[in-house]
Amino acid sequence: MPRVRDLALSDFVHSAGGWSHEIYLFYANWNEDGHARRQGFCLRKDPGAGLLRERSNLREQFLVIKALEATPVPSPKAYWYEEDPTLLGGPFFVMEKVEGEVPNPWSRAGKQFYADAARRGKLPRSFVEALASLHNLDWRTTGLDFLGVPGIGKGFVLREIAKWESLIYQSIRKPEPMLTELLMWLKANAPEAMRLAFVHGAYRTGNLIVKDDAIAAVIDWELQVIGDPMYDVAYVLSDLNREGSPLLSCIVERDFFLDYYQQLTGIAIDLEVCRYYDLLYAMRSTAFWLSASGLFAEGRNKDLRLARTTYSVPVVLNMAAKALGF
Amino acid sequence: MIPARHIINEIVTSLREVIAPAIAEPYPKSQAYMAAVVLEFIARQVEERNDIETEKYTALMALLRDLSHQPELGPMIEADHLSEAGLCELIERLYSQREQLGEEVFASVNRRIRQALRALLDAELKVAGKAEG
Repeated sequence: MPRVRDLALSDFVHSAGGWSHEIYLFYANWNEDGHARRQGFCLRKDPGAGLLRERSNLREQFLVIKALEATPVPSPKAYWYEEDPTLLGGPFFVMEKVEGEVPNPWSRAGKQFYADAARRGKLPRSFVEALASLHNLDWRTTGLDFLGVPGIGKGFVLREIAKWESLIYQSIRKPEPMLTELLMWLKANAPEAMRLAFVHGAYRTGNLIVKDDAIAAVIDWELQVIGDPMYDVAYVLSDLNREGSPLLSCIVERDFFLDYYQQLTGIAIDLEVCRYYDLLYAMRSTAFWLSASGLFAEGRNKDLRLARTTYSVPVVLNMAAKALGF
Repeated sequence: MIPARHIINEIVTSLREVIAPAIAEPYPKSQAYMAAVVLEFIARQVEERNDIETEKYTALMALLRDLSHQPELGPMIEADHLSEAGLCELIERLYSQREQLGEEVFASVNRRIRQALRALLDAELKVAGKAEG
């Protein structure tokens, strides 16, 4: 920024959100060619002991957000990535602070926000349209194939299982027979992906910036893969993301979602495959909670939210057991 | 699960070192410090409950007793399986030998194992707080 003069940072906020990275929001104020400028930024920093452990890849996140700039997917602009940990204590990147809000769908106020927006009708449409924009993306042309392209058939599913199983074995502190049963069942029943798409991996309210009843940006680019689009569809359909709400992801009616998504993408939703992915998500959630509570128990991360997750493990496994019929 | 006292001690530390210092108003600030003091006393009152481990052991015993009566499983069952780690190994072995056992035997044994898994989960859910019934 060679023409910038009198640069000053202000309104610095350490966000309470995010399980893997520290998130800081701030404004930069400067003079450029005699004009006063002000712009909001968001900085994500790797704390070194986050939920995904060494699987967290800030550089990959930065490259994904950069690649999305030229696409219809609503996403922030990516500005700088810094690998050097000596500057802020860990790698970080800076992106645009997209104006809007991210109501927490697990809070009473957040549920009310989404319920009110659902009644107005614009946000549910935008929710589906943003997801469709991801799945309609030509990921090869966009350069997203650097994420790794799984083999045809069961390649995608088996790769996902292996990824989260490795996190489980790295984190687990006591044997979990129900988790073993779930893993074995998942491997024995893996479906074949009928097509590949750019998949967010955690598409739900809470990971979307909302402004004027529309999705202003899809955020939390930590779990994206080239994989089966049903993986995202299943996440939207999952009960995991709508506790206490009759609406999918607390925002959209099920029938409307199914119809509108298929209309926008031309992809037929396979509910049987979605049910399988819902169980895979139960396994993935268990992996997350084992990792989080393990980091806390080992004294590597003092965030009390991580301690709470020790109680989430049997709850998620119970949901899986019920889905398996016992 | 993480032992209760460990979590309480970390909450005490967080109250003293993170939460209370960040509170500007005197009354809520003193409440945060006092919560830390009270929690330290509570930590001394807390004992890990042992009924959960007892229930789990009972469920595992019943499972192994039932499975040992299945002739097809004879060599597969070992005394080491009388633990959660052992049950994990048994489940993996069952799936890996599914073809040799045949679908009928596999389904029957898997059903019985899932019954035990249900009992183990119900025991843990007593603490996790989502148990039904």
